[in-house]
Amino acid sequence: MPPAVEFRAVTRHFGPVKAVDSVDLTIAEGAFFAMLGPSGSGKTTCLRLISGFEQPSAGQIRIFGEDVSATPPHLRNVNTVFQDYALFPHLTVLDNVSYGLMVKGMGKTQRYAKAEEMLALVKLGSYGHRKPAQLSGGQRQRVALARALVNEPKVLLLDEPLGALDLKLREAMQDELKALQRRLGITFIFVTHDQSEALSMADSLAVFNQGKIAQIGTPAQIYTQPATRFVADFVGSSNVLPPTLTQALGGPAKWSSLRPESLRLAQTGPLTGTVQSQRYLGTGTRITLTAQGTELAAFLPAGQPIPPEGTQISLTFPPNALHIMDDTP
Amino acid sequence: MTPASFPARGLADRLTTLFWRHPRILLVLLLTPPLLWLGVVYLGSLAALLLQSFYALDSFSGLIVPEFTLKTYAQLFTQSNLSIILRTLLMASAVTAASTIIAFPIAYYAARYAKGRLKAAFYLGVMLPLWSSYLVKVYAFKLILAKEGIVTWVATSTHTDWLLTAALSLPYVGGNSLATSYLGTFTVFCYVWLPYMILPMQAALERVPTTMLEAAADLGATARQTFWTVTMPLALPGIIAGSIFTFSLTLGDYIIPQIIGNSASYIGMAVYQLQGTAGNIPLAAAFAVVPILIMLVYLTLARKAGAFDAL
Repeated sequence: MPPAVEFRAVTRHFGPVKAVDSVDLTIAEGAFFAMLGPSGSGKTTCLRLISGFEQPSAGQIRIFGEDVSATPPHLRNVNTVFQDYALFPHLTVLDNVSYGLMVKGMGKTQRYAKAEEMLALVKLGSYGHRKPAQLSGGQRQRVALARALVNEPKVLLLDEPLGALDLKLREAMQDELKALQRRLGITFIFVTHDQSEALSMADSLAVFNQGKIAQIGTPAQIYTQPATRFVADFVGSSNVLPPTLTQALGGPAKWSSLRPESLRLAQTGPLTGTVQSQRYLGTGTRITLTAQGTELAAFLPAGQPIPPEGTQISLTFPPNALHIMDDTP
Repeated sequence: MTPASFPARGLADRLTTLFWRHPRILLVLLLTPPLLWLGVVYLGSLAALLLQSFYALDSFSGLIVPEFTLKTYAQLFTQSNLSIILRTLLMASAVTAASTIIAFPIAYYAARYAKGRLKAAFYLGVMLPLWSSYLVKVYAFKLILAKEGIVTWVATSTHTDWLLTAALSLPYVGGNSLATSYLGTFTVFCYVWLPYMILPMQAALERVPTTMLEAAADLGATARQTFWTVTMPLALPGIIAGSIFTFSLTLGDYIIPQIIGNSASYIGMAVYQLQGTAGNIPLAAAFAVVPILIMLVYLTLARKAGAFDAL
């Protein structure tokens, strides 16, 4: 079985800017795959390369083993949930959802029946007659989802799907999307700049930096074993230690990462420094200190005394928490 | 200690405070002059016109009898007046249809593809003709379209005069020369009103988001399907706005058909002649009501057809 999506040395230039720089990527069928990165890292361009709104300057893209270089967007069996949803304002919800079936020539009764079914799936059964302007952000998002899914795509692309929703709705939608993907079994590829969203939803993810993939792996791999300084810093804001400090802590003379939550207050410890600031986060407090010339963050869970700013403290950590990285920035 | 508020420094501060506390006062101050202008001068004259149309001219004395009657409106339905209305309506429809077709590609290009300098050039190209006098342009066209004019010259020297002869020998719309035929009137109307069609159309097309077009393609629509099911419905309010201009401007114009064409009469010309030389103000007013009614019918039909659904 060929993979759902395959990138072979794909490059996309915009003038002199390499938005996507020689990317190799394999996404298995049925995966819930996340493309994570800061804005301008090339993740959205990768998504648009799959949907066909961008064409590679070099390299090849295969969808289920088929080279799609010469296939325009409307002939690709992939559908997109757009960041701004892009619902047609002049059509009702039902007409929006059945649009894809309409342009393929399906009769009115049949396509409305399928659209109703899909609206029920996203829990908007009774909203068919409304116009998009009469819906809330979360409801529009569901309509966009139903409109894409009604076409039974082999791959569903989601561009920052939850970006415009408030926190509570976003968390609910994360669970729902995940459940939906399990139920339908189709490949979901979603783009996000929110690392917690990527970690909690995806089976596997690619971290993008400056048009290249910095690391591909499962959420646990990415979080606990970041390959590069960029990944360590971007995913979960880990402490990045220079080679000298790594060596002082008993490791090799290489860059390493140390998770803020693996640091513990102790009477004596390998790391000592002065507390510079603290930030209350509800589930705990994040303090920053300078130890051995490097700025470090430590996450102290709620329920223990927080050392006030200016006090000298010592920190310790379990030996396996120090993760050694390669030399890539 | 700094005080919680600073003292007012003069009349300006006092006024600003007043407007801030009572925003309605500012609104009333701002809206009264234009509303007076609109209400009294603009709508008032329209009301006077409407009133006049219900009076009639005494055929014996030639004086206006200020009594309510529908006699004047009945006169609109005489054979000659009816043909004036019909001719104007047909001309306005033809001009609107042609302007829509000519304007669309230009507006589409400007909205979707033109950027920076090219866009500035577009605006300049469309607006430039509006800066010069309308009369000058119409007289210029009389020369261009004349039998000895440049059109005939170009047609002869490129050996395409057969085309011109064929067009001019068409029944009804043809004539002795372009300058003295319906074809000529039509051409000049199209030329003069085209910017009024292009600009609202371009504005409407520009408002259609690119993601909307991408969404249609993503869902499997071909370029043609996207055009008819997404682009057109979303741009329709702009196209209707443009057509209101071309349609109503043609309905009311009395200069172009006087200078170019076969001296057949149009509503505007009828109004001009009736209120001027003939002194038949009631009939002129009744004629002037006709375009208003036509526009109302047109907008109602457009609304029924869902032209404003995307607004």
